[in-house]
Amino acid sequence: MITTKNITKYFGSFQALKDVSFEINKGEIVGFLGQNGAGKTTLMRILTSYLPASSGTVMIDGDDIARNSLTIRQKIGYLPETPPLYENMTVKDYLKFAAEIKDVPLKQQRCQIDRVLEECHIQNVKHNTIETLSKGYKQRVGIAQAIIHEPKLLILDEPTSGLDPVQNLQIRNLIKDIEEKRTVILSTHILSEIEQIAHRVLIIKSGRIIVDESLEILLKTPDDAQGTQPTLEEVFIKLHSESNENYE
Amino acid sequence: MNKVFAIAKKELLTYFKSPIAYIILILTITIFNIFFFMIIDQNREVSLKDVFQVMEFMFVFLVPLLTMRIFSEEKSTGTIEFLMTAPLTNTAVVLGKYLGALIFFSIMISMTFVYYGIVEYFGNPDRMTTLTGYLGIWLEGAFFLSIGMMTSSWTRNQIVSAMTSYVILFLIYFSISFTAYFRGPAEIVIRQLSTWSHLENFAVGIITVGDVVYYLNGILICIVLTRLSIENRLWR
Repeated sequence: MITTKNITKYFGSFQALKDVSFEINKGEIVGFLGQNGAGKTTLMRILTSYLPASSGTVMIDGDDIARNSLTIRQKIGYLPETPPLYENMTVKDYLKFAAEIKDVPLKQQRCQIDRVLEECHIQNVKHNTIETLSKGYKQRVGIAQAIIHEPKLLILDEPTSGLDPVQNLQIRNLIKDIEEKRTVILSTHILSEIEQIAHRVLIIKSGRIIVDESLEILLKTPDDAQGTQPTLEEVFIKLHSESNENYE
Repeated sequence: MNKVFAIAKKELLTYFKSPIAYIILILTITIFNIFFFMIIDQNREVSLKDVFQVMEFMFVFLVPLLTMRIFSEEKSTGTIEFLMTAPLTNTAVVLGKYLGALIFFSIMISMTFVYYGIVEYFGNPDRMTTLTGYLGIWLEGAFFLSIGMMTSSWTRNQIVSAMTSYVILFLIYFSISFTAYFRGPAEIVIRQLSTWSHLENFAVGIITVGDVVYYLNGILICIVLTRLSIENRLWR
């Protein structure tokens, strides 16, 4: 589904991504993990063709992102870190606009809007202006926007930040429901969440991928010191302190 | 093409869903009304020629207020990321946004048709001059809008966007005042650059190819530059 080769990204002289290569197969749920500023968002922005990579290639579903960006964008649903909402539109108008610009055929627009309203549990606010909604609702409208054109690939940048535990659970269930049909990439720094939904994790540290492993294998590798199975949190913290030492 | 209309519709929707659109329309027409009364009261002439001149001058101040948010707001709220990752060409985004602004501006202009009704009722104005006069100020406004949209694509700050378009509009509008200090080709260039020299003809009922080309070219150049600045993302 996704193949990236040696992506690097410079912002001025700052190198945000260093030689990032990975492959993601169809139907996988992959979690991007990393500290703040590690390059997760930059990587996602490159995959969604919002930012061009400084070098390297990205192939999504057989198309090169540098050449066939438009066809690729039709296949991607993207939720940026802050949900991109037009505050003074109503939820329904906003979703209609999203459907229009994402090539949903005119005849299907209405049923697609109804579908996402239901899937994201935002039926009851569909006539409200977006600026009056609480953060959790805004986040769900953001997800609704991302899945309105039934994309093959869903990219979610911190989809659960700022939500209460119940909403958190709802969104996790939503992602699990989606899983059967499509590939999902999500980033978060709430590690327990990843443990529950992802199949595979990519841990990014200062622009480099330091772990690319299926979750099962990662968590089965016994911890040297204690000989018990570590949690993802322990693995994460260990990796980050380890490589700090390496740099010093 | 459908997507261009979808974006234009969204632009208008965001205007009219908030009170901003109505406030702008009412205040603008109020300003125009005051000038209309003053001019008619003073000139006692059944012609809208001077009214058009004042409207043109007011556009220099009004248009940046309409256009400053076009791209700047999308950038500061992050919705630009939504537009740029949707399957839309940059051209469609720019054209859609321009069309939206143009429709709003046309609604604003059309509210002044009532002036023509008033002079028609009390006298016998020259219909042709009024018509060409309207075409002139509409083209002028359309040109100013494209300049405003261009400056809006350069920055995420609405105030900076408005101030930049004020500078450009003032330079273009008043460049004719500088002609006295230049000779030869430089003088001609500066004279032709000024919107003053082009709007004159429309106001007296003459449509020349040169004037129409001036405005259409200006609009085209600004739209192309806007598209380039969106594409290059200079603002990142």
